[in-house]
Amino acid sequence: MTKIEAIIQTSKLDAVKDALHEIGVEGMTVLEVRGHGRQKGHTEFYRGREYTVELIPKLKLEIVVPDGIVEKAVQAIVASARTGQIGDGKIFLTKMSDAIRIRNDERGEGAL
Amino acid sequence: MTTASLSGELRDLYTEESARIQQQFAASGDGRSAVQQRTRLIETIALRLWQKSLSPDPSGPAGFALVALGGFGRGWLFPHSDVDILFLHAGSDSDAAYRDAIRVFSQNMWDLHLKVSPATRALAECDHIDAANVEFTISLLDCRYLAGDRTLFDRLHDKVIPKLVMREAQTLVQSLADLARARHAKYGNTVFHLEPNVKDGPGGLRDYNVACWLSLISAIDKLHDWPDDKALLSVSTRKQFESALDFLMSVRCFLHLRQGRDDNLLLWESQDEAAARKIGAQDLDVTDAASWMRLYFGQARSVHRVCAQLLEEIPAAWSSLYRQFQNWRSRVSNADFSVVDGLIYLQQPHALHDPEMLLRLFHFMATHGLRLSTTTEYRIEQVLPSLAATPPRGAELWLYLGEIFVQPHAADALRSMHALKLLTLLLPELMAIDALVVRDFYHRFTVDEHSFVAIESLHRLQQSQSEWDRRYAELLSELERPELLYLSLLLHDVGKGTPKVNHVDASLEIAQRCMDRLDLDPSERETVLFLIANHLEISFTLRRDIFDPETIRVFAEKMETPERLKMLTLLTYADIKAVNPDALTPWKAENVFQLYIAAFNYLNHSVDERLRADAEDTHLAQIRTLVPTAGKKLKTFLEGFPKRYLATYSATDVLAHMEMAGRLGSDPIQLLLERGRHWFELTLVTHDRPALFAAVTGVLAAWGMNIVKANAFSNQAGTVVDAFYFTDRFRTLELNLQEWERFKRSIIGVLTGEIDLDRLLRDRLRAEKPGSAKIKVDTKIEFDDSCSSRSTLVQVIAQDCPGLLHRIGSCLSEEKCNIEIALIDTEGQVAIDVFYLTSNGEKLRPEHQKRVENALRESLLSD
Repeated sequence: MTKIEAIIQTSKLDAVKDALHEIGVEGMTVLEVRGHGRQKGHTEFYRGREYTVELIPKLKLEIVVPDGIVEKAVQAIVASARTGQIGDGKIFLTKMSDAIRIRNDERGEGAL
Repeated sequence: MTTASLSGELRDLYTEESARIQQQFAASGDGRSAVQQRTRLIETIALRLWQKSLSPDPSGPAGFALVALGGFGRGWLFPHSDVDILFLHAGSDSDAAYRDAIRVFSQNMWDLHLKVSPATRALAECDHIDAANVEFTISLLDCRYLAGDRTLFDRLHDKVIPKLVMREAQTLVQSLADLARARHAKYGNTVFHLEPNVKDGPGGLRDYNVACWLSLISAIDKLHDWPDDKALLSVSTRKQFESALDFLMSVRCFLHLRQGRDDNLLLWESQDEAAARKIGAQDLDVTDAASWMRLYFGQARSVHRVCAQLLEEIPAAWSSLYRQFQNWRSRVSNADFSVVDGLIYLQQPHALHDPEMLLRLFHFMATHGLRLSTTTEYRIEQVLPSLAATPPRGAELWLYLGEIFVQPHAADALRSMHALKLLTLLLPELMAIDALVVRDFYHRFTVDEHSFVAIESLHRLQQSQSEWDRRYAELLSELERPELLYLSLLLHDVGKGTPKVNHVDASLEIAQRCMDRLDLDPSERETVLFLIANHLEISFTLRRDIFDPETIRVFAEKMETPERLKMLTLLTYADIKAVNPDALTPWKAENVFQLYIAAFNYLNHSVDERLRADAEDTHLAQIRTLVPTAGKKLKTFLEGFPKRYLATYSATDVLAHMEMAGRLGSDPIQLLLERGRHWFELTLVTHDRPALFAAVTGVLAAWGMNIVKANAFSNQAGTVVDAFYFTDRFRTLELNLQEWERFKRSIIGVLTGEIDLDRLLRDRLRAEKPGSAKIKVDTKIEFDDSCSSRSTLVQVIAQDCPGLLHRIGSCLSEEKCNIEIALIDTEGQVAIDVFYLTSNGEKLRPEHQKRVENALRESLLSD
C-alpha cells in the first residue's frame, strides 16, 4: 500500500476527484492548505494598502491505494491537475505498513 | 436463597420485564409509561438485593438507607439510563460496617448490566455543596426513599436538604445556570439542529429538569419546606411542559431501544424510523420525517423557551455584577416598554392591538438585546388571532422590518417573532422553512435557524477580534442599504421548503411574492433578487483559480458594481459561517476576501468602457420596457455614458436623470436633494463645463458637508450626471427644512457665477477648528495608464478633511484635466478617490501626469 499526497490547485479538485473515481479510487481525504513552491506570493493593492498573499491557497489530497494501482492513480492526478503553469502542485508517495478499518478491524488492502 | 440463585432469578426477572416493557412501548409508543415501569422494575430488583445483602427487613438496618437520586429518584429510568443511588449512613463508622454489603449489592446490579452509579455519604456530608461535584447536590433534589432506615432518610429529606437549599440557594442556582448555559453554548444556543440531542441539547429533557430544579429551589427558599409538586410551575407552563414531556420521553425511549445504549442523538436514520412509527405522535398527521421533526422542534422550542425564561427570571441566579448590568439595562425603559431584570414588559398592554406597537416592541428588543417577559409573550399570543385577520403589509411593514434587521440583536428579535408565530404571520413565505430539516453533511441547523444564524454572524462582526472578521466588519459598515442584505439572508434559502430541485430558483420566486407583500421599490427588489440568485456564486468561483485574471473578470462583471460585490461577499461570509461553527475556516475567509479585493480592483479600474445605447443589454432592455415611447430621447441620453453608469443606477434612476436632462433647456442646472438612511444624496444634471466637479464639492465643503461617496459620469452629448453622498456635520439640513432651498440656490449660484465660491469657503474654513486625526494617513498618488483604453486613472489616497475633494477637483481643473469618471469613497479617516482623466480627449502624457502629481501633492500637503 502506498500513501499518495497530492498538493493541487483549488480549481482542480473536481477534475482530480473524477479522474480518481474513474480508476476506482473512491475514498480520499481533502485538506485546505496554504503554501508555495516556486510560485511565490501574490500582491494586490486594496485601498492604498498592499495586500500580499505569501502562501497560496491549495488543496492537499491524501489517498492510500494498493501498490498495483499507484502508478495509475499518479497518472490520473497528473493528467487532471496539470495546466503546465507554475503552481500546478506536487505529488508525494510513501509506503504504508498497514491499514485498519475502525468499524470492523479489517486490515491491509481490504480496509482501503 | 444463595446469592447465585438470586442473581439468576433477578436476571430472569429483568430480562422478561424489560422485554415486556419494550413490547408494550412498541405497541403504544407511550414513553412515560415505559420509564415508570422500568423504574418500578429496578426498584424491585434493588429491594430484593437490599434484603439479600443488607437487611431482610426492608426498613432496616438502623442508621443506613438506600436512596434513589437523579432520574431514578424522579421515576424516569429510560431503557439505558444510569441508575443513581445513594447509600446514606448516619455517621462515619456505618460506612465501614456496610462496605462489603454495598460492594455485593452494586456488583449484583452491574452483573445485570445496569449502569449503577453508587454514592456513599454520611448524612452530615449531604449538608454542604462540594464545589467539584455540584451535580451530586442537584441530584439530591430528586431524592426518593427506597429501603432502610426511614427516619434517617426523613432527616435528609425534611431537614438537611431544605436547610442546605435555603442556605445555598444562590450558589445552587448560579451553578445550575452556569451548567445550563455551558450546555446550551455547546449546542450553539439553538434548538434547531438537524440531528439534535434529545437529552442535553437546548429544549431537551435536561432543560425540563433545569426548569423544575430552578422552580423547586426558589420555592424551598421561599417556603422553607418542600412545595407541593403542583405549585412548582404555573398552570400554563405545566400544560406546555406535559405535552412536550410526553413527546420527548417517547423519543428518548425509542432511541435507547433502537440503539441498545444510552444514545440520545436523533440521527437521520432514527428520524425516518420515528416518523414511520409516529413516535410521540400517534394521533397526529405525520407524513414524513420532516413533518415529524417539526413536531419535535415545536415541543423542544417550548421547553427551551421556559427554561431560558426561568434562567433569566429567578433572582437568586444573579451575581451582583449581573444585577448591576440588569439595573443598567432597565434604564432603557420608555413610555411604551419597561425593562425589569433584563425582561421587557408592556406599559400599556392594550396598546399591543396596534400592529405598529407590536413591531416597535421587537425593534426595541433588537436594539437593546433584551428578552420578552412571559407576560409580554402571553399578551402577544393573545393579539395574534385578531392581527391574522388584517396583517400589516406594504411599505410601512418593510420600514419596520428593515429597521429591525439593522439593529445589533436583530437575530434574537427575529427568533422570538418566529417562535411566537408572528414572523410567519407577517411573512407567510417563511412558513415553508419553519423548522425544516434539509439533510446534508455540512449543515448543522434547520433552514430557518440557518438564516437567523447568518444574520447574527454579520451583527457579531463588530465585536469580533479576529483579523478576518474586522475586514468583513469594515465592508458591512460601508453598505448603503444593509437592510436589503439582511432581507436577502432571510430569504436566500426559502426555496428549500419547496419540492423544486433548484432551491435558488424557488427562493427567487418566493422572494418576489414576499417583496410584493412588502412593496419594495424596483431597485430594492433588483438588489435582493441579485443577491439571492448569486448567493452561491462566490463559492463556485472559489473552485476556480482566483489568481487568474480571466476568473476575476468573469466574476466581477457578474457583480456589476462594488456595492453589490460587497453585499454578496458579506452574504457569502454569513452563509458559510451559519452552516456550522467550523465551516468558515481561516482558509476560506481569506480566499473569499482575496476574491473580493481582486474583483473590487477590477471594477474600479475598468469602468470607463463606453455604453452603446442600441446594444443588447438586460438593463437597457428593462429601461426600454419602462418607457417604450422614449426611444430616441433615451438613446440620445444614454449614448456615451460609461457602462458603470448603468450598473450604478437602477432603471428608475436613469429615467429620472433623463427627465432632468430633458429640462436643461429651460433650466440649465437640475438638482435633486434627498435624504437617505445614512446620508444625504445630491444629484446634479447639467451640461459639462470646466471645474464643475470642483465647484460643487466646494459648495458642499462651504456648507460643512462631509462627502463620503460620489460618482461623476458624462455622456457623449456632454450631459453630466454627478451624485454626491454626504453627511451633514452640523445638522443644518436635518434641523432646518427651509435651508434645503437655500443650499440648492447656493449651488446654482456658484455654478452660474452669481456667488463667489472662494468667499463662501473662506467663511467656512475660518470657522473650522482643525481636528486632530486619529490615525495618520500618508498621501499616495498613483497613476495607471493600463486599465483604460481612453483615460488615465489617478488614485488619490489621503487623510480625509473638510474641503479635500474640492482641493483635488480644483487642482485637476487648473491642470486642464477633464474628469470623465469620479469614484469617491471614504473609509474611516481615509479618503480613497479615483478619477478617470483625459486632456483634450486623450490620456494624460507622462509629463502631464508628473505636473498633476506635483500640483496635487503641493495642494494636499500645504497644511
